Amino acid sequence: MDCPVLWIHAEALGPANPALLAHPGRPAVFVFEPGLLEGAAGPISLKRIVFLYECLLELPVTIRQGDGVEEVLAFAARHRADGVVTSAWVDPQLGGIAACVAAALPLQVLEPEPFVDLPEPVDLRRFSRYWRSAGPRLRPDPAATETPT
Amino acid sequence: MTSSTPPSEPAPPPQPNHADLPRQFPGRDAMVRELTARFPQASGGASPIRGGSKPALAALEAVDPVRYAASRNHLDGAVSGLSPYIRHGVLSLAQVRDVVWQRMARGPGLVSEKLLQELAWRDYWQRLWIRLGDGVWENLEPLKTGQPEAAYAQELPDDISEGHTSLACIDAFARELSDTGWLHNHARMWLAAYVVHWRRVRWQAGARWFLCHLLDGDPSSNNLSWQWVASSFSSKPYLFNRANLEHFGAGRHCPCCPAAAACPFESSYEALQARLFSAPQGGERASGGQAKGEAV
Repeated sequence: MDCPVLWIHAEALGPANPALLAHPGRPAVFVFEPGLLEGAAGPISLKRIVFLYECLLELPVTIRQGDGVEEVLAFAARHRADGVVTSAWVDPQLGGIAACVAAALPLQVLEPEPFVDLPEPVDLRRFSRYWRSAGPRLRPDPAATETPT
Repeated sequence: MTSSTPPSEPAPPPQPNHADLPRQFPGRDAMVRELTARFPQASGGASPIRGGSKPALAALEAVDPVRYAASRNHLDGAVSGLSPYIRHGVLSLAQVRDVVWQRMARGPGLVSEKLLQELAWRDYWQRLWIRLGDGVWENLEPLKTGQPEAAYAQELPDDISEGHTSLACIDAFARELSDTGWLHNHARMWLAAYVVHWRRVRWQAGARWFLCHLLDGDPSSNNLSWQWVASSFSSKPYLFNRANLEHFGAGRHCPCCPAAAACPFESSYEALQARLFSAPQGGERASGGQAKGEAV
C-alpha cells in the first residue's frame, strides 16, 4: 500500500492513533455515521457530538457526515488511494463498516498497545476471574520502584 | 497487522470539498450552533467538559493514585475524570497505566492498586464486548430479584429523565447527567438502582438514557454495569440506603430534599430487600464501595 487514506473512528481520537503515527501526512477522514449518531440506544445528545468534534479539531482529519462505508470509499477515491489504514475497534458496528470497506479496497488494521497481555483463553465470567490473571501482570515491577543510588 | 509498517508517501495537495464539515469557528458557541443545525436529532447543548488532548492531559497530570484510592467512593472524592477521554481513545489505557505506574513508584511504600484495578475494569468490559457483541443488550443471566421480567416497565418514566421525582438526590443526578454528560460512578449506581429496583423499570431503558448523555458511554461498560446493578450480571441486586447515600454523598442532598421525611431509601438493607424483592437475598449487602468501574 503506497498511498492509503486513513480512516479515523470514534475509539481512537487521540494523537497516538496508530494509523496517524504510521502514516503521518496522509489524508485522514472521520465520519459521523448513523451507527454512531443513532445506535441501538437511539440518538446521542449534542453534548456527545460536541465532545467528539472538539477531539477531531485537534487531529489532521477531514470530517464528514453520512454513511460510513460510502464516505470512506469516496474519500479514498477522492485521494486516488490504493487502500485504507485504520486502528483496531471494539464496537461491532465499526467492524461492519470495516468489512464493507475491506470488500472494496485493501484495509490495514493497526493494533494499539494492549493494556495487559493475557494468555488465552481469558476467563471473563466475572471480573474477579479476569483480575486473578490480569492483576499480577499489571502490578509495577518492584525493581522499578527502587531509588537509583 | 502491526504498527511497524513503513510510512507511506506524503499526501497530494488537499482538494477542498464543499461537503466536508467545517474546521474553523470563531468560538465554541459558533461551533455549537453549527453542530445544532447539522445534527437536528441531537438534543440539548454542549457539556462544560471539553474534548481534546489538552484537557485530557491536564486530567492525566492531576491523577493521584493515593488520593484516588482513599476517596474515590465519595462524590467529592479525587476521581480522575479520564473516562470520556479513554472511551474515545484520546488517551489509551496503556498510556494511563504507564502514568499510574510512575506515580505509584514515587511513594515511599506500597501504594494502592485501586486505580489500576479501575482501569482494568474498562479493559474487562471491552473484552466482553468483543465476545458478546450486541448480546450486551440481553440479560446475561436471570435476574435474582425474584421478580418476573414482565414486572419491569419497558420505558423510563419522564419524571426520572426530567429530574422531577421530588427526590433531591435522584433529581440532582438526572440533571447532572443531562447538563454535563458525566456522573460520578457512585451516582450512576444509585441512579441505576433507583430506576431498576425502586421504580421497577427494565435496565435497558435506563441504559439507553445513559448512553444518550454520557460522554464516556459505550454499550459494553454502560450496559454491563446496569446488568450488574439489576443482577443479570451479578450474584445479587445492588441496593443502597439513605445512610449510604448520606455518607458518600457529600451531604448535598438530604438537607434540602422535599421528600426527606418520607425518604424511600430510609431503611435497613434487610427491610429494603424484603420490600423490593421477592427472592431471598443472601450474602453481603451494598456497602457503598464501587464493586465495578466505569467512570474512573
